[in-house]
Amino acid sequence: MLNSFIPILAFLFQEVVGNDRLAQMKHAATHPDLSKFLVIGALLFIIGVAGVLTRRNIIVIFMSIELILNAANLNFVAFSRYLQETGSVNALAGQIFTVFVIVVAAAEAAIGLGIVIALYRNKETIWVDEIDLLKW
Amino acid sequence: MYKYIWLVPLLPLLGAAINGLLGRKLRFSETVIGGIAVGSVALAFLISVVAVYSYGFGSHAQWPNPYLTSQDGFSFNWIPGGAVSINQGLHERSAVEAQKQAAERFAAMTPEERAQYQGVFVAGNTSPRYALLNIEWSYQLDPLSSIFMLVVTGVGLCIFIFATGYMHGETGFYRFFAYMGLFMFAMLVLVMGSNFLMMFVGWEGVGLCSYLLIGYYFDRQEAANASRKAFITNRVGDFGFALAIFGIIAVFGSAQYTEVFDQARAFPREPLGQWGVLSWIALGLFIGACGKSAQLPLHVWLPDAMAGPTPVSALIHAATMVTAGLYMVTRTNVIFQHSQTMLLVVALVGAATAIFAATIGITQNDIKKVLAYSTVSQLGFMFMACGVGAFVIAIFHVMTHAFFKALMFLGAGSVIHGMHHEQDMRRMGGLKKYMPYTYWTFFAGWLAICGIIPFSGFWSKDEILWNAASTTQIPLGWLIWLVGTIAAICTAFYMTRLMAMTFWGRERFLEAHAGGEADEAHASAYDKGLAPHDAVHPAAGDRPRHQPGEHVGPVHEDVAHHVTTHGHADEDHGHHHGAHIPHESPPSMWVPLVVLAILATIGGFVGVGPAFNFITGAEHPGGRLNIVNWLNPIIWDPATGDFKHAEGGHGEAAESHESAPVAASEHGSAPISHGFNLAHAVDNVVHSHLLTEWIFIIISLIAAGIGILLGFLFYVWRPALPNIWAQRLRPLYHASYNKYWVDEFYGWAITRRTMDAARAVFTFDFKIVDGIVNGLATVSRGFSRVVGGVDKYFVDGLVNTIGAFIVRLMSPLLRAAQTGLTQNYALVMVLGLMIAVAAFFARDIATALRNMFAAIM
Repeated sequence: MLNSFIPILAFLFQEVVGNDRLAQMKHAATHPDLSKFLVIGALLFIIGVAGVLTRRNIIVIFMSIELILNAANLNFVAFSRYLQETGSVNALAGQIFTVFVIVVAAAEAAIGLGIVIALYRNKETIWVDEIDLLKW
Repeated sequence: MYKYIWLVPLLPLLGAAINGLLGRKLRFSETVIGGIAVGSVALAFLISVVAVYSYGFGSHAQWPNPYLTSQDGFSFNWIPGGAVSINQGLHERSAVEAQKQAAERFAAMTPEERAQYQGVFVAGNTSPRYALLNIEWSYQLDPLSSIFMLVVTGVGLCIFIFATGYMHGETGFYRFFAYMGLFMFAMLVLVMGSNFLMMFVGWEGVGLCSYLLIGYYFDRQEAANASRKAFITNRVGDFGFALAIFGIIAVFGSAQYTEVFDQARAFPREPLGQWGVLSWIALGLFIGACGKSAQLPLHVWLPDAMAGPTPVSALIHAATMVTAGLYMVTRTNVIFQHSQTMLLVVALVGAATAIFAATIGITQNDIKKVLAYSTVSQLGFMFMACGVGAFVIAIFHVMTHAFFKALMFLGAGSVIHGMHHEQDMRRMGGLKKYMPYTYWTFFAGWLAICGIIPFSGFWSKDEILWNAASTTQIPLGWLIWLVGTIAAICTAFYMTRLMAMTFWGRERFLEAHAGGEADEAHASAYDKGLAPHDAVHPAAGDRPRHQPGEHVGPVHEDVAHHVTTHGHADEDHGHHHGAHIPHESPPSMWVPLVVLAILATIGGFVGVGPAFNFITGAEHPGGRLNIVNWLNPIIWDPATGDFKHAEGGHGEAAESHESAPVAASEHGSAPISHGFNLAHAVDNVVHSHLLTEWIFIIISLIAAGIGILLGFLFYVWRPALPNIWAQRLRPLYHASYNKYWVDEFYGWAITRRTMDAARAVFTFDFKIVDGIVNGLATVSRGFSRVVGGVDKYFVDGLVNTIGAFIVRLMSPLLRAAQTGLTQNYALVMVLGLMIAVAAFFARDIATALRNMFAAIM
């Protein structure tokens, strides 16, 4: 989707900043460096954290947690790619880790949903602000 | 050979240890236990005989000098003491002698000891005031201890053999012989020790064994009480004895006999009424002797001691232990003879005891009680002899009395055994037919104790009476002679009564309820609500071996048929004869009786008196075999101020006062003569010394005859007379029957007072001492309540106020933090993380911000 916007953006930038600058940006957009991925990962992480902290529905909180995990995965993959470019010896470790994280996240989701169901059966709610058992 | 005498006490101890420690665990049979006990005593007897023979008659005979095992190294340093102050002993001796002795001791010291005592011995040049007290455990063989060794082991052997038969079937068979062996050990230590402390150890040892054996049937209240009574009464005497030993050590600086007597003989004699140091020592010793030998104020335990088994009564309470007092008095005769006052006291107490116990013996119905009072009476005779200065004769009477009284006690045991534990003479009678051995041996004992001429009792008792009449040592000899003669009449009377009621006359055991009235013990048991045992009253004798409720006494035939279960532990009891026909005892019982009977018959010939010198040709015939000659070297002679000369029958001093006061006065040896002397008076009339002696012999024989004839008159020829005379002399009869109420008096005067005192002390303890303690507790409780209040209201209040304030202040904040909502915690975590990251990258962030501002500006 980003790629479809690029010509439009390129056009707009061309008008604003000139061709050299546009060429640079075009190159940067087609060859994103590590920082782009890290920024996106950070944004995802912050969105996830915000979701965890603000949403009342426990399902949504789970989904936010998935976002956090995926932010981490993105970082793993980004570093993997970065290391591949710089020719490091163990560049695939990040990707493997990502696979692990996805598996663990799937398991966690399964267990978490089971817990949610059990919780609902007992408390008849999935709103976390109504569940203050940690106080006791 | 006699250096092995240390084995003599050791062997019975060994036997006792084997029996006592292993007998139960290994379940020894009676044969094994009896074999060990009898064997050890027999071996001890054998060694004693050999030792005494070689001491007196062997090729290296040391008689009359005392032999100590320490001479051959058979001793050990028992109580290594230190320097003791001797304030008096050495001062009384000449200063030269004292210096010499001190110098000798100093020379004999090791260098270390010398360094330690140098100052004492060298500085005290003129009169040494210190001696080395060093008490060693060594046995002494001398004329006196040799006689006691022979009597104790010899008579003891007979009694041990008897006891194997008598105690057959007892559950505590091993225990009995362990105690008996222990007793033999203690008694032998007593008589064989070479110093006062060994004597004291033996003294207490025999007291302990006496206690254990009286209380042999410890599950019976009467036996337990009797054993405690014996022990406590003896404590009174032992107190005096212990004080006397302290006095001896303080005065003489030694406890060794040889040393003490060597010093004591140099002391001046203390005449009548003067209480010098030796009188006080002698008083303490005599109090001890009174306790052990059951003399008048302290006699009460001996009759009660009959609650023990009969062999115990024979061994301990007739033949050996009760003569320990005589042994001690004779051993210390140097001290006693130095105090005329104490001699008189001894004689008077002895005479009083003799007549007192003899009159009680007349009315007792329990066969063992009669013999017990007879023993007390005979011990009184012996003390009488000591008191008039005839110590040798006292020991002579100890010996003969050991023979005939052990014989009679064992005979009584045989009768009790044969009568199935019947002790009441009123239910006996006619036993002559059923128990011939017992009867004829008892017959010999009867003649001996009555004092019929060839029997042993005559020789010693007659000598006692003669010495009492002729004494020059103390005044009032005639009174003592008179009392002794009356006591002798009583003795003959009650022994004849015993013979008649037991062996002669109607066979009352065949008659139902022949005894009629119950014994006082029976009655007292009844009063106390105890179930009195049928026929065998529990107080005065052996454990009834019958089943409770079983009729054991004289029975009709129909009653006998009902008695189907016969609870004898003893198989041959009761089964072979229907009703309780008495039976003769087994050979293990009558053989010792025969041996003792022979001794009781001929035992007196070792002391044939000077009155028979027209037959024997000598004052004391037989040389050393005569007991007077044998013992004289240990007797201090006030006439010469030294020990008597050894060679009996020949030395002039040996005869000086023992036999012939008239001769002594002729020798001019200055006897102390006070007032009326009976022998002198008679002598002045008949003008013949020999005739005088014979007059007294005939008087004593007549006394015995009167007693015997009265006994026959009352109990054989005219059996109705006793009741008539008991009615006529009712107060006297009651006084005698109730033993002059001495027990009741002691109970009132001492036991009750002691209990009152104990109660008062208890009250003091309860009210005052406990009151103080409890008061302190109350005070401290009040104090603690105050402190508690301060703590509670002030300290706690302070803490609570401040604490509550802080808590009240902080709690809303803290409570607000704890929402219980997961998201809040997560938020805090995120914030914390952010703060941490910010802190970690603070510098970078600051730089970035600065750059940003710079870029903007």
